[in-house]
Amino acid sequence: MAREHLLKIGVSGVRGVVGEFLTPQLACDFAQAFAGYVGRGRVVVGRDTRGSGPMLQHAVTCGLLAAGCSVVDVGVLPTPTIQIYVAETRARGGIALTASHNPPEYNALKLFNGEGLFFNQYEREELIDLYHQSEFRLVGNAEMGLVVRDYESGPRRHFERVLRLVNAEKVRGRRFRVGLDGVNGAGSAMSVRYLTEVLGCDLRAISVDPSQPFPREAEPKPETLGELAALVRREGCDIGFGQDPDGDRLAVCDEDGHVLDNDDVLALVVDAVLERVPGDVVVNLTTSSVLDEVAARHRRQVWRAPVGEANVVERMQAVGAAIGGEGSNGGIILPAVHYCRDSYTGMGFLLERMAVTGKTVSELVGGLPRFRRRMGKVAFEHGRLGQLMQSLEERFPGVEADRTDGLKLMWPDGWIHVRASNTEPLLRLAAEARTEERLEELYGRVVGALGG
Amino acid sequence: MLRISQVGLRGVVGRGLTPAHVLDFAAAFGTFLQPGRCVVVGRDPRASGRMLREGVVAGLMGTGHDVMDLGVVSTPVIQHAIRRVGAGGGVSIGASHNAAEWNALKFLGPEGVYLSTAEAGELLDIYHLRKFTRVDWTGVGRLREEAGGIDAYLEELAAVFDFEAVRRFRVLVDCCNGTSALILRRLNERYGFGFVLINEKLEGRAFAHEPSTTKAAVGLQLAPLMQPVRADAGFLFDVDSDRVAVATERGEAVSEEMILPMLADWLLPRGEGKIVITNLSVTGLVDEVAARHGGRVLRVPVGRQAAIDAITSHRPEQIALAGEGTGAVMMPQFRFIYDGIASMFGVLSMMAERGVGLAEIVNGYPRYSILKGLVELSTRRIPQLLSELEQSYRDGRANRVDGLRVDWPGRWFHVRVSQTEPAVRVICEQRGEAPEELFESLIGRVRSYV
Repeated sequence: MAREHLLKIGVSGVRGVVGEFLTPQLACDFAQAFAGYVGRGRVVVGRDTRGSGPMLQHAVTCGLLAAGCSVVDVGVLPTPTIQIYVAETRARGGIALTASHNPPEYNALKLFNGEGLFFNQYEREELIDLYHQSEFRLVGNAEMGLVVRDYESGPRRHFERVLRLVNAEKVRGRRFRVGLDGVNGAGSAMSVRYLTEVLGCDLRAISVDPSQPFPREAEPKPETLGELAALVRREGCDIGFGQDPDGDRLAVCDEDGHVLDNDDVLALVVDAVLERVPGDVVVNLTTSSVLDEVAARHRRQVWRAPVGEANVVERMQAVGAAIGGEGSNGGIILPAVHYCRDSYTGMGFLLERMAVTGKTVSELVGGLPRFRRRMGKVAFEHGRLGQLMQSLEERFPGVEADRTDGLKLMWPDGWIHVRASNTEPLLRLAAEARTEERLEELYGRVVGALGG
Repeated sequence: MLRISQVGLRGVVGRGLTPAHVLDFAAAFGTFLQPGRCVVVGRDPRASGRMLREGVVAGLMGTGHDVMDLGVVSTPVIQHAIRRVGAGGGVSIGASHNAAEWNALKFLGPEGVYLSTAEAGELLDIYHLRKFTRVDWTGVGRLREEAGGIDAYLEELAAVFDFEAVRRFRVLVDCCNGTSALILRRLNERYGFGFVLINEKLEGRAFAHEPSTTKAAVGLQLAPLMQPVRADAGFLFDVDSDRVAVATERGEAVSEEMILPMLADWLLPRGEGKIVITNLSVTGLVDEVAARHGGRVLRVPVGRQAAIDAITSHRPEQIALAGEGTGAVMMPQFRFIYDGIASMFGVLSMMAERGVGLAEIVNGYPRYSILKGLVELSTRRIPQLLSELEQSYRDGRANRVDGLRVDWPGRWFHVRVSQTEPAVRVICEQRGEAPEELFESLIGRVRSYV
């Protein structure tokens, strides 16, 4: 069996299995390092609905107070809402206790700077150094900060930002029947409010009880959204939305109960956004070529960044992109709302698009160019990664290659992207081509070259 | 700056006491307790209490315990709640009579009792081993915030004391910005008392004066105000309300040593318990009072731990009360917890029953004069000092259980090592006039070792 990383302290923060691995002590230490890094002042702390969340929130709050910060406890909120809160209230930074789409036994600390953004790679390295140095500057009783609760204003702040761009009146006028699977996550209460009060939909929701555990695998994708699909069919919904536990990822189901490919969801939103917001598009290396064709319709360019939200955001800032995202994991990033993955932006734009065009979801998807895609995994032995990647490149001389994140080999009519997982000794493969035959040929050749 | 002992964890926040200590100690306590049972926590108003509370809650949740947080309350309120809800134990966050920059964790067992020395030792071993119970995500504890702790506590006090009989007294209280203010305000609101409070605002950073229950502290604000407000009795509480000191209606600041003999005088004739447990440094008046009622004083080393061990080695009904010369007294009616508020009600009940003023009660006892001193000294030289003193005072009866105590009829001294700093304390008492000469000579002898 492959070695699993039950605790990972790295440039993306701290993530691990709660209990033996991710302990309150560790969370508290990390919070002290974080406080030392962002400086004394207000830090926003929120969480998703995992059972271990309150414990870690208390541990993090302890560390922040000890190191001289005050804490704004925003309670259970989606990660994008926490990020927007940090930015709007000009806090020193923010910590979200969420392992996003990971299984319930995991939890993690997601760390944000004063603008509510992920730290860049160099900042993250400095922060890890501070943690490892373990010489935290602590304050005494006289300088001890406060803990302030604000469970109210987060959703409002978030909705206001989305509604600057989405025409809620148009959506309300149609009174769409909408299915929702909130996975009992951080968005449960907020999504119900958004879809009913704000967007005037006729909502049919399942799994929107934040006190209950996740009823399905946490990552929203076709294989995990069977219940949503059934709900949409049973209730005759116009569209179905599936969220992950921290409300940053979005999956969509059409009116027939067919769960869309996440790349197509991103493409639909990009198409809608480029109608009105000028700028280019940034996606990751694994995202479908559908995006290039959709952008081309608007005479816009697509830039590609290594996989990971922080990487995509960095590139978006550099090129002043109108929109960005990561297809495979259901992330839509609209800077006009905030530089973060946000399911609420996605829901708003899709509903507005339906209202404006009068088209159904399946009709909208039907208007997208068609590609064939295949994802896969190949296990490798520790220590053999470099050799594998090198031999792979040598097998395909003359093919256009991108080495910024693993290896992406690009032919005129298809591509394949091979990269190592951050958490397991696995190679993740993604391939795409115009036809099924070409896809199988490319995929087979690469898997063969990897000895899989 | 930091002291980790069988009494718990105590230190100056930020410089000695860190979040790591707090989380580890809470996890050790969660490991020590029976699994799965709720733990009650509460804190005094120190600003750092917010930080310690977060760490304690996280540490307990991580070991699978649900937590009931009573917020800012006195230690006795926590102890009562533990028994009432059948909790597995409790943690009191607060440094009691220490200065504001200090904080501490006190650990309480089932029924709200203090841990015995053996139990405290086991807790300490778990802390040092750092092998804590770690539950997975399905077992992580939950927090409940409970606002009704004080009301439930007052109901238990009302069941023991005759509130009706003592409500008529005009009582002035110096709360020293601590938790007693919350309790006394509630007594005014709910039971119609007329407690007049000074320094009643809860303070996190600076207390109105040193938060100790000494005669000197009583003399600062409470005693001078007694006659102007025409109060019948005056009480001073420490920050977590487990200790108390008194002032009379004439404006006299009473020695902190008097609380225990007064309550012994009140309690001994009332019950079958005839043993008074106290430590070697406490006034001889307590022996004289106990003898009057056919009672007997059991003297143990200084510190709460020794008193607890002495209590647990007797049947509860054998004991009349236990206490220190600091104004901390435990009564069997409240299952032996130090409770300043209960002690206050004891004194008021005594006034009501006897129908005389507090000054008359206090001044009715034979006079004992006690002198106390502190000399900083390298701990290395202490054994030699004690042996030499024992040789020099061979005409008295020596007791080496805790430092050195030497007794003569009507006179004694006690030289012992401080539990909180490298120093020795010299206590010297005589029935009647102060034993100035003995005290000076002892201090001189001790200083020659500096």
